[in-house]
Amino acid sequence: MDLDRHFVSGSIPLLVMKLLDEKDLYGYQMIEELRRRSDDTFHLRAGTLYPLLHSLEEKGWVTAYEREASAGKPRRYYHLTEQGRAAFREKETAWNAYARAVGQVLKGGACHAGA
Amino acid sequence: MPGHESISAYLDAVSDQIRWGRARRLVIPELRQHLEDQRDAFLAEGIGDAERRAVEEMGDPVAVGAELDRIHRPKPQWALLALTAALALAGMLLRIWVAADSDSTGRAALSFALGCAALLAGYFLDVSFLSRRPRAVCAALLAAALAALPLIHRPGAFSPFQLSHLCLFLPAAYACWLYSCRGRGWPGLLAALAGAVPVLALTCAGWYRMALIPTLLTCLILPLDACRRDWFGAGRLRSALAVCGCAAAGIAAVACTSSGWFHAAFRRLAAAISPEHAAGVGYQSARIRESLDASRWWGQGVWTGAEPYETAVPTWDSDNLLTTLIYRLGWLPFLILILAFAALMIWLLYRGLRQRGQMGRFLVVTTVIVLGAQALFNVLWSLGVTWHSSFFPLLTGNTSTVVDMALIGLSLSALRGDSIACEKIPPQRLPRYKIRVVIERS
Repeated sequence: MDLDRHFVSGSIPLLVMKLLDEKDLYGYQMIEELRRRSDDTFHLRAGTLYPLLHSLEEKGWVTAYEREASAGKPRRYYHLTEQGRAAFREKETAWNAYARAVGQVLKGGACHAGA
Repeated sequence: MPGHESISAYLDAVSDQIRWGRARRLVIPELRQHLEDQRDAFLAEGIGDAERRAVEEMGDPVAVGAELDRIHRPKPQWALLALTAALALAGMLLRIWVAADSDSTGRAALSFALGCAALLAGYFLDVSFLSRRPRAVCAALLAAALAALPLIHRPGAFSPFQLSHLCLFLPAAYACWLYSCRGRGWPGLLAALAGAVPVLALTCAGWYRMALIPTLLTCLILPLDACRRDWFGAGRLRSALAVCGCAAAGIAAVACTSSGWFHAAFRRLAAAISPEHAAGVGYQSARIRESLDASRWWGQGVWTGAEPYETAVPTWDSDNLLTTLIYRLGWLPFLILILAFAALMIWLLYRGLRQRGQMGRFLVVTTVIVLGAQALFNVLWSLGVTWHSSFFPLLTGNTSTVVDMALIGLSLSALRGDSIACEKIPPQRLPRYKIRVVIERS
């Protein structure tokens, strides 16, 4: 299934922060994990991921540190800060409200505003 | 993606889009690691032409590079730079005006020109080398101070420059040393504290005793800040107590080795508090207070002393430049100048404490300590509390002005380059597991 690019682009920060909410990861792991969990639906390009991670780091929502990965090579791991965790909760709540509203409309359910 | 089929070619294309060198040092290795992981994964899956496929997965290098370039930009500090230059210019004009002889004019103009050159040189210098080579920088500064000692002690050498004022760079040398000791446990903490010894010894030997106060403060405040962040991994409280204990021992040692200086300082303090009861040392304090009593809020004061002002207040154009400012122009210009300087220091400290880079924060805090201590002692001296003479930073127009402006320039460079790309993060050490083997006799 090919998703509309616009569907995905707005939700990428939320998805990345969700992964980091669970454990510290480096860039390649995030892409693989996202692909695995979404059954190959979210195929995030590295060219999109790294600018996003760096902008999150500039905001102070994530921090980075170097650590040796299992293969013995040093990798730049990302860690969600407390500030980032609070921002993630906020975004998650907003996304759930949005998804619920879209779902209701698509199912033809009640629309309270101006009904 | 024609032309970018290899990892190197792709990274070169990304690198071409990123204008800031420091950002390239962060971004390119990370992208290289990613590309190599992707290539290895394709090879493991048995996919042919793995490198080209890995590059294709990355996306357009020009778009990626342009996006990273947008995120990683230096942050210019024009306002702080202008305020520093304005204060130095005010100092130069003040000196020229109060001491209208050609010698003073030439010296004030020369120190202003050299100070501005040092400010700009520091500002445009890439201070990230301090975090990359902290020990080398510390060693170079200590070696330079050691080499300058014979010249400092030779009267008239390099006149009119006071080489002893170069001691004001030594707190920055200690900041570099301390930075290099982080993450090394108790040995690191002990090494950090031991590093204060040569720095303090060279400052003591450098004849400019005023530098001892900011150096002592730096050697105390920076390690305590490092302990607060548990840099050494030895526990916040325990490492802070160790720092305080060593500081107390260090101050006692300095007091023993420089007892004459301490005795003189206490005598001056007593005279400063009650000048009317002190013979000799209280004279200067009494004359300064006399001139302040004769001053007005705005405009020249009315001097009623038997001797002319310039004779009664001996260091009227150097240590007592601010006293002269109060007497000749009034209290209001003095307060404006002091408030402008305080605003510069507070602004610098506020920005410095929000620094992402540890080395940058240390540099800014050190600069504020060095300049703040000089300003505090000079203001006290100018108001008649003649405890310890000092030159007011940026205003006095001598070698210390040039050093102070260089320190501000370096601090502003650290603020300009404050980014996630500002320093290399050392690899995190994994915890070592301890296994205890107990052998019991059955």
